[in-house]
Amino acid sequence: MTDTTVDLVVNGTPVSETAEPRTHLADFLREDLLLTGTHLGCEQGVCGACTVFVDGRPTRSCITLAAACKGAEVRSVEGFDDDPLMLALRDAFKRHHGLQCGYCTPGMLVTGYDIVRRLPNADADRIRKELSGNLCRCTGYAGIVAAIVDVLENNPPAAKIQPQTRALQNSGTSAVEPIEAISQTTSSVAAKTSGATSIPTKQSLAAAPTLSRTLAFEASTSEIWDIISDPEKIASCIPGARIDNITDDNLLQGQCAIAMGPIKAAFTGTAKMDLNEAEKSGHVIGRGKDGLSRSQLDGMLDFRVTGLPEGGTELALEMIYKLTGPLSQFSRPTLVAEIADRILGQVAASIEALAKGQEPDQTTQTNINGLSLLSAALWGWIKRALRF
Amino acid sequence: MKPALFDFAVAQSLTDAQSALRGEQNKLVSGNQSLGPMLNLRLTRPAGLIDVSLLPELRVVEEHEDNIRFGAAITHAEVEDGAVPDPTGHWMRDAAANIAYRAVRNRGTIGGSLAHADPAADWVIVMTGLCATALVRGAETNAPLRTIPMEEFITGPYSTALGPEDILTAVEVPKPGVGARWAYWKYTRQVGEFAKASAAILVDPSKSRTRIAIGALGRQPALLLNPDAVLDGTQSPIEALSEAIPDQPATALHLHAVALTRAIEQIKVAKEFSA
Repeated sequence: MTDTTVDLVVNGTPVSETAEPRTHLADFLREDLLLTGTHLGCEQGVCGACTVFVDGRPTRSCITLAAACKGAEVRSVEGFDDDPLMLALRDAFKRHHGLQCGYCTPGMLVTGYDIVRRLPNADADRIRKELSGNLCRCTGYAGIVAAIVDVLENNPPAAKIQPQTRALQNSGTSAVEPIEAISQTTSSVAAKTSGATSIPTKQSLAAAPTLSRTLAFEASTSEIWDIISDPEKIASCIPGARIDNITDDNLLQGQCAIAMGPIKAAFTGTAKMDLNEAEKSGHVIGRGKDGLSRSQLDGMLDFRVTGLPEGGTELALEMIYKLTGPLSQFSRPTLVAEIADRILGQVAASIEALAKGQEPDQTTQTNINGLSLLSAALWGWIKRALRF
Repeated sequence: MKPALFDFAVAQSLTDAQSALRGEQNKLVSGNQSLGPMLNLRLTRPAGLIDVSLLPELRVVEEHEDNIRFGAAITHAEVEDGAVPDPTGHWMRDAAANIAYRAVRNRGTIGGSLAHADPAADWVIVMTGLCATALVRGAETNAPLRTIPMEEFITGPYSTALGPEDILTAVEVPKPGVGARWAYWKYTRQVGEFAKASAAILVDPSKSRTRIAIGALGRQPALLLNPDAVLDGTQSPIEALSEAIPDQPATALHLHAVALTRAIEQIKVAKEFSA
């Protein structure tokens, strides 16, 4: 990873600083330039507190990389002292109680400025719609809306800030060179993280979402049972999963890595498996941690193998999962179910292959489309995925 | 949270961007409005990001007789503002205006949104509904662009037909025939949120295109097999959906039936397209 030079114009002043490429514009403004008027709320583009003008357009500075702003014209809340439209907005915010704690205000002012300049005929309803990307927890929005209406209705001063187009800056170097060097850095960080060593309790999963699925196999009941009751074998059927260790008190330790689109997570953890040989059923409970995203997945799985009257075998699965940490913020139940099904489809194919004495299909395993994990043990916890 | 370490470079050309994809360690980025939150939450940890947002090749809009071809790095706001022509009159503009929030639309791009393939994203269902085509540049030099119908381009949640070294360079949106109608309805609990259910309807008799797409399913949009039956009332929305997406739980099915019903109400009163 090499630092990058960020050249841009902030509040009218040219700035040139080196920064890590991962630095987002808000951190660049706050930490490198000490312009702390730009506030960070959610850091995922939802709350709007960090909104600043980039090239005259309102922009989320928390999800805009400073390095992507080379040559840009940035205007933050500190840069409007001689801007008559911003003065009118500030005055109206004050008179209409458009702020209380002031945390959202820098973003509100930028959005308000954009509304006045871009939508001269906006009414209160339209203003509310346009403000939907800026959260305020104090005012109930009424004062903010009233302030913007007030400015709009009273002959607002012309906007000095106008959208502008930025062309590609010729860097003279190809994009390829600087990039290949760093992959190791990233993966070594990932490798250092430690996994979960405890397992959850049944009670802690009482209110968690459940997912029921049934898989059918051509193989016999005993063939399927042999695979799914053997941690090593079943792990070999789960894309991205491996068992590292089985402790003396029979706890399974291992990892499950999942990739879906751009998302990658590697959950390391511990699980406990209890088997009922007579009923051909089992119970697994476990916990996995993804070190870099600091997300934790607790899961519980009950499974039962039964013979089908027409031959073949049915495997019934009841999964309960609870995800906490950043990943859970992306969780949408429909996605979790979809990903679970995609993983289970591959798991089922691998079990069938193994039952026939073949190797689980490695091509399928490397192509998995699922984000989720499951820590040491088997099946499923599926994880979830994302949302925004 | 802050992103994990990564490297960053601005691509100087498409060829440049493409060579950076070799080895599958790097990822292209344009507006960073969907990838950014994932980076900040460390859900994704690419070795390097290659910025293609300002590449002139991806900023081109070409009007052809039957369609308009939008470069992948055209922003939602540019569509919303009419800064680029809308082949559909105003259908694309209306859809663009309701993507997330203005600040996101100022940076988010059509191509970025489609390549990211969030199942609930607006362009994913709207482009499928409009019978759009993805134009993909492969790794082989001098090979012609591949054209992939949108319903085949999106293959699952965050998954597309793009190979590891492919670049989505443009999306081609056909011009509707005279008399065509369109409806798009999405359910969100608050303005700007990702949809929980959505439906898009295109009725274009002169081009023989009738299409009903169901979105926000957690995977790629579903196309109803017999849209005419739903439109003329011989099949109810819930019947059609039970057939098309039988795996969805009852609550989701109901939500999608509501979205479809609202879209049908919309299309009954929709203005006919005139070129």
